Amino acid sequence: MRWAALGALAVLLVLPNFLGSYLLTVFIFIFFYAYLGQAWNLLGGYGGQISLGHAAFVGIGGYTSTYLAMTYKLSPWIGMFVGGAAAACLGAVIGYLGFRFGLRGFYFILLTVAFAEICRLVVSHVEALGGALGLFITFSGDPWQFQFSDNRYYYYIALGLMLAAMGIVALVERSRMGAYLAAIREDEDASEALGVNAFGTKLAAIVLSAFLTGVGGTFYANYLFSLQPNTAFGIPLSVEIILRPIVGGSGTLMGPILGSFILSPLAEVSRAYFAKGGLSGVHLIVYGSLLIAVVLFFPRGAYPYLRGLVRGRRGGA
Amino acid sequence: MLNRRTFLKATGAAAGAAALGFPAVLRAQPKEIKIGAVHPVTGPLAEIGQACRLGAQMAVEAINAVGGIKSMGGAKLVLLPGDSETKPDVARTVAERLINEGAVMLTGAFHSGHTMAMVPVAQQRRVPFLVDISAADVITLNVAQSVKEGKQKTQYVYRNFPTTTAFGRKAIQFMNEIFKATGTSPKRAVLMYTNDPFGKPQSEGFIKAHKEQGAPFEIVEVIPFPEVPTDLSTEVAKARAAKPDIICPITRAVSATLLLRELAKQRVDILGVISPGAPGLYEKGQIDALGKLIEYTMDNVPWINPLSAKTRKIAEEYAKRSGGKTFDTNSGYSYEAITIMADVLERARSTDPDALVEAIRATNMKDPIMVAGGPVRFNEVGDNANASTAMIQILSQKPLVVHPKESAEAKLVFPAPKFWERG
Repeated sequence: MRWAALGALAVLLVLPNFLGSYLLTVFIFIFFYAYLGQAWNLLGGYGGQISLGHAAFVGIGGYTSTYLAMTYKLSPWIGMFVGGAAAACLGAVIGYLGFRFGLRGFYFILLTVAFAEICRLVVSHVEALGGALGLFITFSGDPWQFQFSDNRYYYYIALGLMLAAMGIVALVERSRMGAYLAAIREDEDASEALGVNAFGTKLAAIVLSAFLTGVGGTFYANYLFSLQPNTAFGIPLSVEIILRPIVGGSGTLMGPILGSFILSPLAEVSRAYFAKGGLSGVHLIVYGSLLIAVVLFFPRGAYPYLRGLVRGRRGGA
Repeated sequence: MLNRRTFLKATGAAAGAAALGFPAVLRAQPKEIKIGAVHPVTGPLAEIGQACRLGAQMAVEAINAVGGIKSMGGAKLVLLPGDSETKPDVARTVAERLINEGAVMLTGAFHSGHTMAMVPVAQQRRVPFLVDISAADVITLNVAQSVKEGKQKTQYVYRNFPTTTAFGRKAIQFMNEIFKATGTSPKRAVLMYTNDPFGKPQSEGFIKAHKEQGAPFEIVEVIPFPEVPTDLSTEVAKARAAKPDIICPITRAVSATLLLRELAKQRVDILGVISPGAPGLYEKGQIDALGKLIEYTMDNVPWINPLSAKTRKIAEEYAKRSGGKTFDTNSGYSYEAITIMADVLERARSTDPDALVEAIRATNMKDPIMVAGGPVRFNEVGDNANASTAMIQILSQKPLVVHPKESAEAKLVFPAPKFWERG
């Protein structure tokens, strides 16, 4: 297993030398959404606290670093951590309110959606943040400004983000906190009865998850060169983030990554082959059908299924 | 010591040389020239995106029908349609893919955010990108700035669409001319706008132009309303209290309907409704729904040139191909972008990116199919400075160009009859 992982990593490291700009872009989005999915996974997968407002953290992170870069010439390399911290603060507020007042299940989901919407509306009305038009970043190709004239750099940054999130989540998974989170997910009342500080653990999870997602916001802004409240804080982005861990297997380390490696190529292939004819939207129907098929075949996610398959074979042999 | 960066540079340079040098030979005499067109064909902007795609497709067919690119041995144009799904990340990926599939030029992308996401692709991969629709000034300005500061070598991004600034300037200019021609002198204007990525900059552009160019009227009140309003009675009451002579609304379909109904209901006594430029005030569905309430409404919008025989012919065919839809701003500008590209290719005699850029910069295309201030010419920022709007007015339930005079197909009616005097 370890060798397979190292092999995969080696392949990913040398891959850019063989890929054109287009495939690099595809991989960049695979890594990036896997990264965001992993950040979500920490709270939603391991802790069972489903957030449908994670786009808010992307937006806060992206807006913070972009605003600092445009107004104070602060490099987004530093700004991305400031953005992460800002997102973590928002996460703390949402977490405190939600967990302190014992919101669970649908009520917590609604709270996260509400906060994302509030952020979207507030930013739409803040003059300094470009209002509803948003912020536009000048393309200069200056590395200090988090811009590169070659997609390969973005590739390695996105890969680095994905691996870093994986490392952090792996550490959490093995720590006491990971065990607490799983216990809370399975039965919060029982875990509390056993002495788990459910409030503190969940709060820590949402703060960390928000921080990581916020850091990703800077990448989002500097790869797409503009931020609009409707896209950066919108529900579609939140859904995009959640889909990966759900399809790949939420609450597993490899889930978001596998999910991203399944979904992004699926979307891209359906786009490349079914979006050409006169009928617009066919590719979305194809993508949707494939998505339904994936969820039907792997109801608990692709990774648990694969793991079961590998173990089953070994057991049989 | 070979670290990753030098390794990257070396391999990058080698790959770049291989990618660029080799096709240069192949590109000498192409039989097909591929153009990538990215539009929001699905998602919230689907209807617009489909209009754009059909416009571009028809233009390609029209050019091929008269012999393709003659200077290149009659090479045929091929449209590679791309769907941004109304998402910026998809817009960027699709642009990359279309270039991989052989697109030598790009056009698109309607939404300024999507266009922005495609700009670095065009710059990095050296593929000229002629923006067909997107008004945000920064799109071309940013690139021009980077080139000026030496951060980018060549500008590959150009635009044939009025910028937000141009919208505002034209609105004030046309209004001043109209008031003069009709011998009217409105003193008080109330600006009402939908607070979204379109309405906000549009209103700012109007206020800025008003300040810079001057007008006989004063903007006495500025009233924003949310993106999809459920009720505008308070806003209209506020506007009414300001005793306006004209109302300048920047709307979307829903808000336009609510606004006009409310203006009539509250019997707001004005000389007319003149929009600095907004959708919702001229579409067939809106006219059918609003009837005489929308009559005489003026709107400052990019428009097809009704006096051009060429445009009228395209419009007829468009109606046939689209199942009765109007050849409008969106389909029109997407159509025109392709004709400009064909003109550029004709003069460049090559698909080499720098030859194309040189040809784009030297463009001087007469008889544009859209209402314009003159031939298509790109200025130092990369915008067609002659891209213009037209003042249209709903007359006998049809949107007709009433100003500027060179393009007018009907005589404008101003002041407009009061809402309650329209029978």
